[in-house]
Amino acid sequence: MSERKKISRRAFLKAAAAVGIGGIASGLRGVAEAAPQKEKAPAKAKPKKKILGVDVIKIGGQGVTSGAHADYGWQMIAGSTLAIEEINAKGGILGSKLELKFMDEELKPAVAVKNTRYLATEWGAHFLFGVDSSGSSMAVGPVLPEIDRICMFTHASTHRLTEELVAAKGVKQIFRMSVPVYQESILSSLIFKDFPNIKRWAGIHCDYEYGYSTWALFKETLKKYRPDVEFVAIAWAPFWTMDFSSHIAAVMAANPDAIHATPWAGEGVMLLRQALMLGVFDKIQAWFQCMGGSVDILEGIANEVAAGKFKDKLWATARYIHNYPDTPQNKAFVANFRKRWNRLPNYSAENSYSAIYAFKAAVEKTRSLKTSDLIKALEGMEIMTPGGKRFFRPEDHQAVYNVPGGRVIKDPNYPIPIVGGDLKVIPAKDYYRHPPFTPIAMGK
Amino acid sequence: METLAFQGLVGLSVAMYLWLLAAGLTIVFGVLGVLNFAHGSLFMLGAYFAFTFYGLWGVNFWLAIALSLIGVGVVGYLMERLFLRHIYHLDHAFQLLLTFGFILIFDDAVKMIWGGVAKIPAMPGFFEGTLSAFGRPFPIYNLFIIGAGLLVAIVLWLLFEKTWWGKMVRASASDREMASAIGVNIPTIFTGVFVFGAMLGALGGALGTPVRVVAPGIGSAMIIQAFIITVIGGLGNLKGAFVGAVIVGVLSAYGILLFPVFELFLIFLIMAVVLMVKPQGLFGG
Repeated sequence: MSERKKISRRAFLKAAAAVGIGGIASGLRGVAEAAPQKEKAPAKAKPKKKILGVDVIKIGGQGVTSGAHADYGWQMIAGSTLAIEEINAKGGILGSKLELKFMDEELKPAVAVKNTRYLATEWGAHFLFGVDSSGSSMAVGPVLPEIDRICMFTHASTHRLTEELVAAKGVKQIFRMSVPVYQESILSSLIFKDFPNIKRWAGIHCDYEYGYSTWALFKETLKKYRPDVEFVAIAWAPFWTMDFSSHIAAVMAANPDAIHATPWAGEGVMLLRQALMLGVFDKIQAWFQCMGGSVDILEGIANEVAAGKFKDKLWATARYIHNYPDTPQNKAFVANFRKRWNRLPNYSAENSYSAIYAFKAAVEKTRSLKTSDLIKALEGMEIMTPGGKRFFRPEDHQAVYNVPGGRVIKDPNYPIPIVGGDLKVIPAKDYYRHPPFTPIAMGK
Repeated sequence: METLAFQGLVGLSVAMYLWLLAAGLTIVFGVLGVLNFAHGSLFMLGAYFAFTFYGLWGVNFWLAIALSLIGVGVVGYLMERLFLRHIYHLDHAFQLLLTFGFILIFDDAVKMIWGGVAKIPAMPGFFEGTLSAFGRPFPIYNLFIIGAGLLVAIVLWLLFEKTWWGKMVRASASDREMASAIGVNIPTIFTGVFVFGAMLGALGGALGTPVRVVAPGIGSAMIIQAFIITVIGGLGNLKGAFVGAVIVGVLSAYGILLFPVFELFLIFLIMAVVLMVKPQGLFGG
């Protein structure tokens, strides 16, 4: 055991892959055993009575673990694993240990639904979490009442998940830890309404639910504050776009002052680097890369940021950024995450970490694993998380917390760039939509 | 007008990756009669090998490309000698099953070796910068890709039309038995052609390494476009693959510029029209 001092990320992923369809339940136990200097959990002497009636609380997660977006699944695994290890080291939840199984949703709604059913009915998950794709989330949501499990969504960001499925249709098993597209669309319009010289906007957006809702909400909100603004060009890019040159060239033909872009993960890195190649940053005043504050993108463009190639014009936000808020809890989370995984946490990691702690809080409050009780416990819950205080709105089960947006800059305190220049902190209540919701006209 | 010209130029650079991929696919089909679904995976392996040599180990860019071609050539050699060779005489369905199986194996293998996270190494310094084209900045790298694609087209033409090996390959493609009867070693030719096709696919993947994303699954994402191209151009026809790639690359670029709402649909529309007017493809027959 001693020669396995540190489980590297690659070894971890290898282990995850080796167990097959992404199930790392058994791998995880191996990891927990191999973790060094971890004092034997005080609860090693098995608790005599089981308050919850189970030895283990099973937590089933899913996210993308393959392809250009695979880092998001990895971050979910890393964040939830960290939380589970912390909780298990202190004896679990009311004497029951936590166990994780994580599956690849492949950004395909049908796969996500299959995973959901498998995790809940065959594997026996008590809780579900994760889901990267908005399309997958809209497919998983309606299945939850039937299998009677809570799913805490920790990335999928279409507003429709909480506005339509929870608030309008009453699917109570849906909760969302991560801020939806309000973040990239409304927050960014509130930031850029104060730039009088930026009048011509162009969009390079994802050719699916996520891109449509972001662009629609951004245009709608910005137009309210700035009737003089024009939206001069739009290019849509589907999943697996291997080259954005044509998209970039097409919108640049309209001479925009600024560009609003949603492609994320590896595709986001590729988009930004190809934009640099095409000399875009010599022409525009600002580029808002919606989820550009995610660690994988910051890592992917670190050299270019350090060399000043974006000329301070690159803006971004995320659903949590590791340098905000400046609280002891967040600092401890970031430090522990870095120690455990030798990398910084992105928002999927923080959201998944917090999701596990929200489950813990709900179970401790109800002292049961009954879904209907747990739903009541989560509704209206306030919980302190690394990302700050979150409040689960009872009407739509959306966690309310705020994440700032700002310029992407180099910071000597971190190995990769951060969203830290001109940081705009806007209270969540000012940029979240509020119930009762009015539908947004969206589409291409 | 300048906007259209510039967009066309950008589309042409995108088309060249498609050409390199489709070339290998169509050569293998034309000569061996095998529709290699896993050809996209060889493209992906080319990208991963180039990333490993150039991005991870700091090998010189050109040497890294050459080494990745050799690496994928070896993989192609083993695929042909150990597996494909045994199913040439069987129904096409078996070839599809076998090559589809290779896609799954290669995707999982790269995930286990390199991890699932996407990689993009830094651009080699000598490729940075832009030139002015139609009044707008055009990346030197894209120009290099266009040049590389055209060069490969010329080399392939010379190889198949002007060399002894090319003649033997064409003979084996048009009539296996007759070629065999006059002393052409068909099994060796088949292995050589498959390895050559694999290396062409790998070249497309390797050349994209500094600007595109290297991730598991990029092969299957690309292979669909390659199939569309070969269907438009005519299966097994090299000229058709080149023209098809240019059509798909350039028209996609125009679609994105002019009809952003149904740009994706455009390519399928073209394919449908070609199939209706010329079911064998533009150069098939």
